[in-house]
Formats: sequence, structure tokens, C-alpha cells
Amino acid sequence: MTVKLDPLILGANPFEGVSYIGRSQSLHYLEYFAKEDNVAAVLDAAYSAGVRALTCSNTANVIGALQKFPKSQDLSVYPVIPNAYEYAMEASEKGVLGAIMSKAKGFSMYQKVKLGLRALTKIKSVLTKDVMDMLLELLNFEMISFEKMKLGGVILHGQITDLALSSRNPDILSFFQDVIRENYGVEPILATHNFGVLLPQLIEWKIKIPIMAPLNSKGFMMKPSKEECEALVRDSGYQIIAKKVLAGGRLSPEEAFPYLLDKKIESVVVGIGSVPEAYHTFTVAKNILKI
Amino acid sequence: MNEEKKLRVAVIGLGKLGILHTAVVNMIPNAELAAIADINNQLSKYVAQAGLKAPFFSDTDRMLAEIEPDAVVICTPAFANLPVVERCLARDVDVFIEKPLAHTFDAAKKMVGLVSGRKIIHATGYLFAHMGLYKRAKHLIADGVLGRLYRVRSSVYTSEVFSKKKGWYYDPAKSGGGAVINIASHLLYVLYWYFGPAKSAFAQTRSIHSDVEDAATALLEFEDGLQGTMDVSWSVPGFRLPYTEIHVEGENGTMELTNDAIKLYLYKAHKEYPKEWTTIHKIDMPSTSRFEIGAEGLYEEDQDFVGRCLDRRPPAVTWNDGFEVQRMIEAIYRSAARKKVVAIGEIQ
Repeated sequence: MTVKLDPLILGANPFEGVSYIGRSQSLHYLEYFAKEDNVAAVLDAAYSAGVRALTCSNTANVIGALQKFPKSQDLSVYPVIPNAYEYAMEASEKGVLGAIMSKAKGFSMYQKVKLGLRALTKIKSVLTKDVMDMLLELLNFEMISFEKMKLGGVILHGQITDLALSSRNPDILSFFQDVIRENYGVEPILATHNFGVLLPQLIEWKIKIPIMAPLNSKGFMMKPSKEECEALVRDSGYQIIAKKVLAGGRLSPEEAFPYLLDKKIESVVVGIGSVPEAYHTFTVAKNILKI
Repeated sequence: MNEEKKLRVAVIGLGKLGILHTAVVNMIPNAELAAIADINNQLSKYVAQAGLKAPFFSDTDRMLAEIEPDAVVICTPAFANLPVVERCLARDVDVFIEKPLAHTFDAAKKMVGLVSGRKIIHATGYLFAHMGLYKRAKHLIADGVLGRLYRVRSSVYTSEVFSKKKGWYYDPAKSGGGAVINIASHLLYVLYWYFGPAKSAFAQTRSIHSDVEDAATALLEFEDGLQGTMDVSWSVPGFRLPYTEIHVEGENGTMELTNDAIKLYLYKAHKEYPKEWTTIHKIDMPSTSRFEIGAEGLYEEDQDFVGRCLDRRPPAVTWNDGFEVQRMIEAIYRSAARKKVVAIGEIQ
């Protein structure tokens, strides 16, 4: 089945303080985008430049900005779940399960009851559940933040996709597909940092859903190699959402987008760090990619 | 390297790093994940349901007896390392152990004694040894790009502890310390790798939120008069991941190494490096792994261990290297306690 994907998607890495260029930029992003209004300003600029989609985790600043942004109902949101980074940060102290429960404390009783989480206030009771039950709760739990938003698809976080890949187990990915289709009525998407390893495995498992993976002329984060990833993009017939197209900021939009012209991709995600950058990047993308 | 044989590897300890090493070992072509062990028996069903084919054991001795792995990857809390290592070495199993070697200097010393003179392959998880940018910087220094070295300033900061936290990590009896042993140990490894063992340390530590130190500052002295500083804190806002900086000053210029880039300033050109500025970005460096999860270098680290077990050569970071780092850590703690300079030579 071919899924309709938005051709240009605003990425949220800068909103979460992620920069591959350096510490000063990362710090600037953390400070600047701590203010929801600044996130909303970039949303507005991207919208004005013709972008109608956003991919993000359930971080408070982005969710808050979406609530403030008057045209958010016109945006297709592609949640990336679960928010593996947040759990990993707390896992040293509380364990992975403890980190999840800590996050649950922020929900209202109504939300907990709705999720069946009231019984999960103790780690012990979580441990009695099986993996799929836990994953279901985690997915539903994270999707609460995206209630009432127009969904374009739901993306499984790359760390989870790659962990499932490493255990050579299709069940978790199949389960994710089913839950997203049945509970949310949209298409599941897999994010990965190991595209060239994942895709042959998905073909073997007969799982065919869109993949979001790094694709750029520098070969940045293209595992196992740039050449193998390019061949799979060309020949596999999978729907590809290209990310890291600016190679973590080492390429300008003018340098980066021509590389994508002859690639069989459906969609491009780009993280944006300022209002002028939003106008510039998306204007160049639309011109070069003829979107 | 023997390409035919697969090394049968067991992972012991299924915390965050144990999960990542399990994932990586399972992806290395010449390794077979032979077993997983953790004292928490409830994890057995997660292992099975996650699709891992390897059998789960809550008893390490039983695992070693029944599975007879060629090698183990130990990811237990630091205080459990020595007893687990003793059991593995009693069966002549090759051992990779996550850093630090142990929670105390004495435990680390016993561990090194256990492998001394034996044909065991032993590796320690100092990840920076497997990262392209850090290898390039090591090459630059070893190649004499900076000439004679005068000073090194280094730091590592992360935003992790802003209130009292629970767990073994923050219990000095179990972790052996705080920010120095857990965070700065990676940086101390790099300093040892680049400049050799330190000769002395003068340090101060500070506990702000924890029973262990949350921050520390050390003056270090290396061979040939190289002076160094090391500053660490896990209680600084704005560092979503640990951020390391190393500034080296030499007779031919300076080198600034961070998580993201190497910036050289040379007074005279040296081989392919021109006079004045050169920047080498991490993004521009070629990929050296075919799979990545959790952190850059993790695949290379496990691949190095597996490869060296198969061809019986020392891995990139041996326990002897890990022990030298442990001596520097011990010197920092002793100096902070005594408020005096501590010679590394006294730590035996």
C-alpha cells in the first residue's frame, strides 16, 4: 500500500537542543527554543513557506507551541514515539521502567484512568506485564500529548526500531504497525539510523511501511555505507522520508537538495533553527525539488 | 583474523549498557550471542519476548557452566565487577568489562592481578578509543604536529544531577565515587592515551546534591613537564549529553578537541596541515561501523573485542590501561581527601 506523505516536513531537533555542529549552537537552541513563542515563530515561518507538516516528540516546548500556533490544525503532525532520550536520561537512577513511571506522574487522573495506568503506580505491577502490553501502554501514553491534533503518521523512534532490528525480531515492529493503524487510524513509519541494515531485514519479514532515514551527499549517518543505502533507496520500492539531508548542518540547502533530485524519496524532513532559516531552507527546497 | 569462527559471547548485566551491548553483539557477524545473565529473573521473559534467541540465566555460575561461552561482556554495577570477573576467569573466559574497572582501586588491582601472565583477552569500555575524531587527535599528537607539549586543559560537563538521587550510582560504597569515576573517567582515559600516565594530581571535589562528588577540579602533571587541568561536573545546565573539551598547547601551536571537531592552529605547516587554522569536523569523517545504536564507537568497541578474542591479540583498551585510569582516579580522590598533591607512584 502506498501512503500519502507530506513532501516537506519540519523537523524538531533544534527545538530539543540537538546540534551536530557544536556546543555553542546546541546551547543557543536550548535557550532560544525553551520559549514556546520562538518555536511557534518557526512553525509560522515554515507554514508561510508552504510547509504543512511537523515531526516531533512530546517535548513540552513543542507541544506548547503547537497549542499556541493558530494554524496548527492545518498541520499534519508526525509524532516520534516513544521519547527514548528522556527515558534514557532518567534510567540511570530509576531504571527504564522507573523512568516511564516518572513520566506518568505528570498525567491527570482522567488520563491515567483512560490509559489504565492507575494500576501502574508501582514498578512491581509493571514488571508483571509482558513486553507487548508495556509497549502498548507506552505508545498510548505518549500519544496523549497529540490528542486533538491532525496526524500524518506515527513514527517509531529510531532507537526502538534499531533495538528491535538488533534482536532480529519482527514482532515488535508488526505490533507497532497494528496498534498505530487500529488505535489511531494513521500509517506507522519506522525511523532508523541503520537504514541499510534494516531494509533488507524488513523485506525478509515482509513488513512494508515508510522508513525515515538519513540521506545526504556526505554519507553522514548512512549505515552501513552511503553506497548500500543509495542502492536500497533506488531499488527497494519502499517509501522513504529522507532526514539529515543537510548532513547535520555541514551542507547549505543549495548544496544539499540537488543530491536528492534523482533519489526515489517521498518526503524530506529538515530541522530549522530560526525564522530566516525556515524561509530560506524551504524556499530552496521547493525550488530545487519542484514541490 | 579468523573469519570462519564465531565467538560465543555472553552478556552479564542487563541494565542500559547491557541492553546496548546485547544489541551490538547480536549484530556483529563473527559473534554469536550465546547467553544473557542478570540477577533479576523477571527480565527473562523480556529477553524472550524481545525475540532474543539466547538463553537467559539469573545465575552467572550456572550460565558459565552450561553455556561455556568463549567470552563475556560484563555490564554489572561497578561494585559487582570483581566477584563476577573472578567467576569468569576461573573458567578462562575472555572478558570485556564496562568502565570503570571497579568501584575501588583495590578491587581493580585484584582484577588486573587475576589476568597477569595469563593468555586471557581483557578489554575495558573506554569508548573514546573507538571514536574517529579522538583517534585522529591521537594521531596528530603522536605525529608531533604540535611539537613539544606544554599544557593541556580539559573538561567534561553534563546536566544530570540537580537534586539528591537514589540508586547504586549515587552510593559511594557501591559506585566508588561520583562525577570523577563515572563521567570524568572517560576523559582521564583520553589524557592517559594521549599523554601517558600522570605523575601527580592535586584535586578538589565538591558534593552539592549527592553523597558522592558532583564536581571536581584537578591539576595533573605528566611526563616531560606537561601540565594539565581536568574539570568535571554533572550538575551544569545546558548539556543534554556529556560534552568533552581538550585544549592542548605545544611549541608549534594549539589543538582544541571537542565532541564535534578538532581545531588546529599551527605556527608552522606540518605535513598536510597548513600554517594557522585547520578544522576537522566529526561529520566529515568516514564511518567506521556498519551498525550504530546508543553511542558512536560502541559497535567498533565490541567488534574490536570480538576480533581480538579470535586472533588472540590485545584489544585497543586493555585492563592494564583501565588500571592506569583507576590510578589517576584514586590519586584525585586521595588528593581531595588530604588536600595535598599525590604522586601517582604512591598508588600501588
